[in-house]
Amino acid sequence: MNNNNSIKWFFGTFFGSVFNSIVTILSALIFLFLINNIIGFISTSEWEVVTVNRRLLLIGRMPAEHEWRIWSILWITSFLIFSSINSWGSPSKRDLLFISFITLIICLIFTTSSTILYVVISLIICIVSYTVSYFIYKSSYQKYFQNSLKILWILLLPIIFALLLIGDGPSPNLWGGFLLNIILAFIAISFGFPIGIMLALGRASSLPVIKIICIIYIETIRGAPLVAWLLLAWFVLPKFLPTFWGLNEISVVIRAMIVLSAFTSAYTAEVIRGGLQSIPKGQIEAADSLNLNYRTKISLIILPQAIRVVIPALISTFIGVFKDTSLVFILALTDLLQVGRIIPEQDPEFFGKALEALCVVAFLFWTVSISLSNLSKKVEKSLGIGSR
Amino acid sequence: MQNKSKKQIGKEIILTDKVTKSFGKFQALRGITSKIYEKEVVVIFGPSGSGKSTFIRTINRLEPHDSGQIIVDGIELNDDVKNLQHVRSNVGMVFQQFNLFPHLSVLRNITIAPQKVKGLKRADAEEIAMNLLQRVRIPEQANKFPSQLSGGQQQRLAIARALAMEPKIMLFDEPTSALDPEMIKEVLEVMTELAESGMTMICVTHEMGFAKEVADRFLFFDEGLIVEEGTWDQIFSNPKEERTKLFLSQIL
Repeated sequence: MNNNNSIKWFFGTFFGSVFNSIVTILSALIFLFLINNIIGFISTSEWEVVTVNRRLLLIGRMPAEHEWRIWSILWITSFLIFSSINSWGSPSKRDLLFISFITLIICLIFTTSSTILYVVISLIICIVSYTVSYFIYKSSYQKYFQNSLKILWILLLPIIFALLLIGDGPSPNLWGGFLLNIILAFIAISFGFPIGIMLALGRASSLPVIKIICIIYIETIRGAPLVAWLLLAWFVLPKFLPTFWGLNEISVVIRAMIVLSAFTSAYTAEVIRGGLQSIPKGQIEAADSLNLNYRTKISLIILPQAIRVVIPALISTFIGVFKDTSLVFILALTDLLQVGRIIPEQDPEFFGKALEALCVVAFLFWTVSISLSNLSKKVEKSLGIGSR
Repeated sequence: MQNKSKKQIGKEIILTDKVTKSFGKFQALRGITSKIYEKEVVVIFGPSGSGKSTFIRTINRLEPHDSGQIIVDGIELNDDVKNLQHVRSNVGMVFQQFNLFPHLSVLRNITIAPQKVKGLKRADAEEIAMNLLQRVRIPEQANKFPSQLSGGQQQRLAIARALAMEPKIMLFDEPTSALDPEMIKEVLEVMTELAESGMTMICVTHEMGFAKEVADRFLFFDEGLIVEEGTWDQIFSNPKEERTKLFLSQIL
């Protein structure tokens, strides 16, 4: 293409008509304005607010002597994540680039002179587990390894809790920062998903009692905002709980977990119901004609197909839940967002540095959300074999 | 029984007595009384909406009948789940739309029922499955997914899947109606082979060439009733009822 052509193309595309010209000029102005502001912000920004308060942002007010718990959780989780990368079929170059990018940025945020050793250990674990798993997947131990990984994933939640609580762990009320968001989201999804499946099946049930109970539950939970439910958990929930074992003085973190799980289950149930409705009647007839019992029919024929259809919607619900965990500030918990807001407000040293703090908060939320959405693409692709 | 005389027809295996079924106001079956014998191949034909499909779907209770009596292999079909399971384990079904499980491999489509219902070991179930795939002539497709097969291959897989439960009776609900013409033959060949092996079969089909070759008896359905029944010669050369004559004049 010669020069003359490109100039023609340029004017034809951007100034081809009066309307096009107006749109071009307006968007150029907005673009310049944004660039100007961003450059202005970057040139005046001071990131000390983040570097000094790194600990608060990441783990809240958890005492320093308990830090080893967090590091060991991080190591186990990185081992699991990086060993599992290869099980979704071999990752493309783009995936690997993305994973390395996210990992490095997170390391950058974590690293200080005192933690550099831990971060290096984490990185080594990541690289070693990826490389080792890569070779195991090529060997004959693949099946065995895959099954052990599955079991470990199921055990991850108990392991995390054991690590947080054993040997006089810090009170759950001291959990905070990014750690709190991740734990809450993890719990909400791990409990909300299976409960949601049962609710969806219940709603599709032919037994009127079960059906009505499920409908009432789902519609009640969905009918009020999450904030209202959290307030309810703050004021009312203790009165509903039995008094033995100190259940009525249950920690606010646990209350937040209950509310978030209940909320997630209701939304998940509706998403999965959509998937159940998309299954052709012929599938059920075929399963019936083969004399499969209800459990086999649901767990091996209907659900795998129903869930595959709704994976995008499901992951988007999960991303929503993850971001909603920041609403637990209502229960006086200091999650990542709350820490990011409080520091510039209360510490005179960092007064007026709210934007820097919030930028990092936003970025941390973004890394998790974008990873989840990438995961969803991968899962969809790996389940897509044999789709109609 | 004209040219089928070499085959030994056994004792009666399916008995239906005044079976009725309606969907809302539409009465699909108005009292079907029939007997079907072991090793017999029965072809059901008739105009659309005449209740052919509904009738064979009542035999394994995919459609519960409203009144009347259905006895399959000595067991009456009613709300009793035990009876239903017993009947379904003796009756295999092949559908017009194949209804294969799209998320499972070809092999797994066949092995799932023997493993989960009969409790066979995986290796045993797979051996059975490979034999059946051999029988329907698609052993090389075992590790593919149903969507990777042609229509004819999918329907043959559906037949293999039903046979894996070793049923005494096979029901075919318009098995070739959703197929391209060039694929009908391969499915009919498998069905012919099955008929010759002595399987009790009830087929709803419009493939009259195939029917003439394998069927022992024909049932002509119209408006939810059996209008006429008999061998090929009795019905096609020499129909007694006006409605049969009219329908035959339209299709032949």
